[in-house]
Amino acid sequence: MRARALVALAIVWAIAAAAPASAQEGKKVLRMGWAQEPQTLSPFIDQDEEDFRVWSINYDLLVNFSPKDLGPTPGVAESWKISPDKKTVTFKLFEGHKWSDGQPITSKDVKYSLETFAPNSLLFPSYVENVTSVETPDDLTVIVKTKQPDARIVGGLFVYILPEHVWGKQSLKSLKGSFRPKPPIVGSGPYVVSAVERGRLIRMTRNPNFRGKKPAFDEVQWIKYGNDDAVERALTLGEIDLVPEVQQATFARLKKARNIEAVSSTSPSFTQLTFNLCNEENCPDAKFNPAVQDVKVRQAVAYAIDRKRINEIASRGTAFEGHGLLPDYYKAFYTQPSEDYALDVDRANQLLDEAGWEPNDDGGVRAKGGQKLSFDLFVRSESPANIQAARLVREMTAPIGVDFKVQVVSVDKLTELTTQQVKGKIAPDFDTFIWGWGGDPYDPGLLLNLITTKAIGGSSDAFYSNPEYDRLYDQQSGEFDEAKRKEIVGQMIALAQRDLPYIVLTVDSALQAYRTDKLAKPKRVCPEPDGDITCDQVGYASITALAPAGAAATGGGGDDGGSGLMIVLIVLAALAVIGVVVVLLRRRRAGREAVELEQ
Amino acid sequence: MSEIRRLLFRTKRGLFGVSLLGLFTFLAVFGALLAPEDPRASSTDVLIGPSSSHLLGTTEAGSDVLSQLMVGARVSLVVGFAAAVISSVLGAAVGLIGGYFGGWTDRILDAFENWFLVIPTLPLMVVLARLLDPSLLVLILVIGLTSWAGTGRIVRAQVLTLKERAFVERARALGATDTYILRTHILPNTLPLIFANTVLIVAVAILLEASLAFLGLGDPNSISWGTMLEAGFGSGAPSAGAWWYVVPPGLCITLLVLAVAVLGYLFEEHVNPRLRDQR
Amino acid sequence: MRLRWIGAKALGALVTLVFVLVFNFFLFRVMGDPTSQLARLPRASPEEIVKLRAYYGLDKSLLGQFADYAGDTVRLDLGVSQRSRRDVSTELAEAIPWTLLLIGTGTLLATVLGTWMGVIAATRRGTAADDGLLGFSLFTYAAPEYWIGIILILLFAVALPLFPAGQQVTPGAEFDSFFAEAADVAEHMVLPVAALTLMLLGQYFVIMRSSMVDVLTEDFVTVKRATGMPWNKVVRRHAVPNALLPLVTLAALQFGAVAGGVITIETIFSWPGLGELTYNAINDKDFPVLQGTFLVFSVAVIVANLLADALYFLLDPRVQSA
Repeated sequence: MRARALVALAIVWAIAAAAPASAQEGKKVLRMGWAQEPQTLSPFIDQDEEDFRVWSINYDLLVNFSPKDLGPTPGVAESWKISPDKKTVTFKLFEGHKWSDGQPITSKDVKYSLETFAPNSLLFPSYVENVTSVETPDDLTVIVKTKQPDARIVGGLFVYILPEHVWGKQSLKSLKGSFRPKPPIVGSGPYVVSAVERGRLIRMTRNPNFRGKKPAFDEVQWIKYGNDDAVERALTLGEIDLVPEVQQATFARLKKARNIEAVSSTSPSFTQLTFNLCNEENCPDAKFNPAVQDVKVRQAVAYAIDRKRINEIASRGTAFEGHGLLPDYYKAFYTQPSEDYALDVDRANQLLDEAGWEPNDDGGVRAKGGQKLSFDLFVRSESPANIQAARLVREMTAPIGVDFKVQVVSVDKLTELTTQQVKGKIAPDFDTFIWGWGGDPYDPGLLLNLITTKAIGGSSDAFYSNPEYDRLYDQQSGEFDEAKRKEIVGQMIALAQRDLPYIVLTVDSALQAYRTDKLAKPKRVCPEPDGDITCDQVGYASITALAPAGAAATGGGGDDGGSGLMIVLIVLAALAVIGVVVVLLRRRRAGREAVELEQ
Repeated sequence: MSEIRRLLFRTKRGLFGVSLLGLFTFLAVFGALLAPEDPRASSTDVLIGPSSSHLLGTTEAGSDVLSQLMVGARVSLVVGFAAAVISSVLGAAVGLIGGYFGGWTDRILDAFENWFLVIPTLPLMVVLARLLDPSLLVLILVIGLTSWAGTGRIVRAQVLTLKERAFVERARALGATDTYILRTHILPNTLPLIFANTVLIVAVAILLEASLAFLGLGDPNSISWGTMLEAGFGSGAPSAGAWWYVVPPGLCITLLVLAVAVLGYLFEEHVNPRLRDQR
Repeated sequence: MRLRWIGAKALGALVTLVFVLVFNFFLFRVMGDPTSQLARLPRASPEEIVKLRAYYGLDKSLLGQFADYAGDTVRLDLGVSQRSRRDVSTELAEAIPWTLLLIGTGTLLATVLGTWMGVIAATRRGTAADDGLLGFSLFTYAAPEYWIGIILILLFAVALPLFPAGQQVTPGAEFDSFFAEAADVAEHMVLPVAALTLMLLGQYFVIMRSSMVDVLTEDFVTVKRATGMPWNKVVRRHAVPNALLPLVTLAALQFGAVAGGVITIETIFSWPGLGELTYNAINDKDFPVLQGTFLVFSVAVIVANLLADALYFLLDPRVQSA
């Protein structure tokens, strides 16, 4: 009796006392949630999105990305001049610009970042691969020389500028091994990491030496939750203000929730169906169905695939249809390809007929000269969206006589299949697969590079090789003039659309959500007008523009729906019935208790 | 034989176990044909509750939960039985050989057995499954090759008692070879025990397969009740209140394991009369 | 005599421990070549791979590597997590207390409840209560523990928002005092502990019941009753303590099963213990951490078995002569 009362009391007290302490008076805190923490926050070794979210707020680049169109805008450098031969760029840094710890930001820091940090890091060496020298004639001047003209030096040098007086103290071995920067993490961005509580939160406080306008929030918190589901729940309950990455599966639900606005914006990433176009010269030992290299077959497949439907089902309608190699996110360089393969099953059949692929009476798979249009389609098990897209591709191409055999494998296995080597040369073993790529914020080079010949053995996974395309690629990579570059890129996209090493199925979206009662309506930038609300992983312009909502803040969290009530009713009813039965039965046998044991 | 029939069809517990097991076996064989929809067909009706078109609602991909449930029976049963058979054969072999021959063979085998008994099962399987590429075969092998020790122990104990019995002594005196004795005297007398134990191992194997699938180590190409729970949990079904997605698969696992366990205990009691008095 | 028996058991435990080390070593060095996992970077050059191999001592002979490994393990140097770049031993040290909290509370509750239920069932053998309890315990034994956890979440965190559905503290919360934080942890503990307790309850109940039935039919109980002692007292003072022994030893022996349950339950509730560490390591393919958690689980089970043997030996006079 007593024990039960005590237990009940303890539980009540526990629940009551567990209300988290009230927010600090006066301090305006922006609370965001994520399900995974950054590994170490060291730009030398980390590679996760969460790291980029923190770095892009903690640091500047030499040249930042403008929130309006992601074009070049001052970062650590105030201005820059390009030499006539385009192989030298001279940057002038801001005067009097200080790190968060008061030390001046000088050309020494830039030199360290470009010469020591970038080449020795995991993710950044490619950005400086053309750099031959970095000269610093004075504290505020940096002269970067490149082997050939490289437009990225101005528009896409995605290398954070780190304080040399902090990082230079560590040995390279330690930096590439297990060095973890300790807070406060010195930077030049609007907020710097001031506390890291593993498994709990990362706190970023306002940098007093920030060059730009003072942001509305004093503090930014990244709060760790157990999984994505818990993050989204926390948003509906009002525990956090903003979620920078919402899951596709829950986006629709969040859109309908009270006091929450869910935003879907364009991004530089896409999901593609890749074909194995390896030729004898580059990969003599590759294994694949030769039919995959018939361009008419690929084109027919492109006509048969309903990309809108793939978006609706595999991406739950949250993404965008793919239109060629370059996502329309690249506003400065994107042109919709003239040959866009709008859904046309008849045309698909026609193409295959013209190419001599005879339809088969039983089963319907076309064949020509003993070869069948039967391809394996690999897809990684870690992505349910990719798996569904694969199944849809199969479903959509069956009517034109093409048989895609969907094989779900682990990402390791897929990597192995696409990168394995025989006798030192690449020998990929697949017909087709579905995967995705993500590009840089402004410079289209990363994505365009994927189908160059020199990327074979590196990031090329279709093993496409076209000297004309390669020539155009080199040309555009050195073209600093936007308009001229756009024209060259347009030709490249046309080539890619004609030869179809990739069929880009969807352009993936960045899904985010925030509380309308906590935040004033954020502007959609990076790029305007359909970008996201945090300039996620790219820059801090959005974060500094966020502000608390006006006085009219309606409280409370979302409603979880009435089905819960139904469960409760059912359970209570069941318990009641069981209880009654047990009591009835016991009463009848009450008298027999003591006698039982004698047996 | 007739004793088994009596146990299965004439006792309350037997009937319970047989009918449930029969139902699930039927589903395992015909589930794919009888399912109302293609379990993998996705649609835009995501996480919708039970309705006339989807009796058990839909998954996070818009697939029909009932269809997935019916098709999922196959993996659970196939893996459960296959793994249990491997486990039993291995365990029985070790128990027979070790128990009969004794000496150093026995000691070494016993040490192995001890080790496998002591090692925590799920962590061991997790480690093995992670190192290999996940597939049904890997699952079956991993479960089968790590859970044999219990059978081995039981069989060995039985063999030890049988070894001293009169008919074995007589056979040896008459010059029978070890193989002969094992085959005609020891083995037939241990079979009932092995059989009863195997049934219990099936129950354990079904639970283990579901656990591995739930942790993401299952076969990504098949649908099983464990993968349904994994997908449901991973896509936030509990938070969405989508009970139709997560309750039925677990219930099926529970009922199947119950049925098999009840049958297993039934046989075990029959083989080991000592246990009967406990009831 | 006593000492020799304990000594033999301890030696056995040590040998098993060595086997675990050897197994752990071969599993990860031989079955999964670490360099392929170490060099996860897509463009690791052959020179870098050679350097990595030397750094991790992979260019020595197998025996040399094992000696290194054994020596390191004894010194508690279990390598570095590939994901967090922290020492594996640090990760383990942070996770173990949370798992202990969960297992300790769960086992205790399951023991108390199992005993209580076992007594009821044994003293009311054959009645509806007995059948009901047996049915209930069979159900919880057959049900996957993570499914029970999901149902608990559905009922008590989503439908009725009584308890939090995950983690060990309210995320982002700041606490003024230790008690406030402890209360928050207690609130977060309710559902995961409930799931673990339900998982163990079935077995404990069945064992307790059968051992109680054994004890209740023994002579000394009949004697006590004959002397006029009230039945309640007989049960409480004499029957229960004697029946507890098999239960206690079972609890220790079942540690292996508990390890499995801990992994799945911690995953469901994002409880930051060894289980969640294992689950994350599975997803990240972080082999040093996987190796570490496997080692801890194995050692824990071996030690628990040893304790169970010792406990049984010390408490049960019947065993000493065996």
